[in-house]
Amino acid sequence: MNAPDRYERFVVPEGTKKVSYERDTKIINAASFTIEREEHTIGNILRMQLHRDPNVLFAGYKLPHPLQYKIIVRIHTTSQSSPMQAYNQSVNDLDRELDHLKSAFEAEMLKFSRDY
Amino acid sequence: MEGGVSYARMPRVKIRELKDDYAKFELRDTDASIANALRRVMIAEVPTVAIDLVEIEVNSSVLNDEFIAHRLGLIPLTSERAMSMRFSRDCDACDGDGQCEFCSVEFHLRVKCMTDQTLDVTSKDLYSSDPTVSPVDFSDPSATDSPDNNRGIIIVKLRRGQELKLRAIARKGIGKDHAKWSPAATVTFMYEPEIHINEDLMETLTLEEKREWVDSSPTRVFEIDPVTQQVMVVDAEAYTYDDEVLKKAEAMGKPGLVEIIARQDSFIFTVESTGAVKASQLVLNAIEILKQKLDAVRLSEDTVEADDQFGELGAHMRGG
Repeated sequence: MNAPDRYERFVVPEGTKKVSYERDTKIINAASFTIEREEHTIGNILRMQLHRDPNVLFAGYKLPHPLQYKIIVRIHTTSQSSPMQAYNQSVNDLDRELDHLKSAFEAEMLKFSRDY
Repeated sequence: MEGGVSYARMPRVKIRELKDDYAKFELRDTDASIANALRRVMIAEVPTVAIDLVEIEVNSSVLNDEFIAHRLGLIPLTSERAMSMRFSRDCDACDGDGQCEFCSVEFHLRVKCMTDQTLDVTSKDLYSSDPTVSPVDFSDPSATDSPDNNRGIIIVKLRRGQELKLRAIARKGIGKDHAKWSPAATVTFMYEPEIHINEDLMETLTLEEKREWVDSSPTRVFEIDPVTQQVMVVDAEAYTYDDEVLKKAEAMGKPGLVEIIARQDSFIFTVESTGAVKASQLVLNAIEILKQKLDAVRLSEDTVEADDQFGELGAHMRGG
């Protein structure tokens, strides 16, 4: 009766930005990114990819509440980089990795059907 | 930082089995977060088509309207076209009505029982306005002459005189909204185990003790070579991470007899499809959807790093 509509979990409402950026006012080179309508799928791969960047001192994410359909990704970097730079780098690297995975799977499909 | 240093990995794939509704493959040189993201997307975010609206004109069967409507929604429909279809809520061609050709497919069902024999109404009695979206065919190609073959999914059974007449609208959706839109019967992955037997400790066991230890595993992971009387690993992947052999070794006073580690960069995926999408296509669709999600979370150009708070100090800290 009063349950929220299920599509609210993955459709960004009108007038809301998908990703917003909030700089930390107490620590230099630290920031939080609020990503609307995402959960562990994106949050986990983002933070694990950020951990691979040596310029990233801290990277973590949290879901504030199950009924708040968003994740908050917090990034703290060295002075050689910046949170936005690290964030963009990790998204680009993940995109590259998925491109490679798709090519590898398609090539393997061709190979498998040929051998079969 | 385009063109700069990259921390992207280059995963490797090896397919072991591939059927229309089943795939088994190895994924290497990546980590559990990517494997789990793929699994989650395959189960809940790859779009398919399923019946979403049912208008029942005549229903004199023993099941009520809601029951039949629910059963219709669960019938898998071939969804090769789903990736390029529009979601009904986003469709501008029909003003959100959700019944135009771009975002929906119409089905009709008209069956009446005229004989004394009970009539099975199946998914094969559903007629689609679009031949690319139709109920999945579950007949077994190898058993061509069996009368039980070539049957669809039973929706309801009708006795003499009973009738069912309805119109149904199928729409694009994802499993996160309702499980009927999930294209996967199940998707699992396991970490590949790495098993090392301590040969020195193993030699201190008698043959009966070896047999007892080998039998302690609920799945057949180890076996005794009949010639050399040595314990060897016959199927590492049969291991279910139940630690039974480790507990048995401790109970026998031989801790460290075997060491079993889950490799963190090798995964064995099992994908089982409902038939709405081929298993191989399901994996490719999942990768595509994951890429779309990454594009969606990119920072927009108008996001600027506001360093007003630090003023001169901020500029100094950045060496500018």
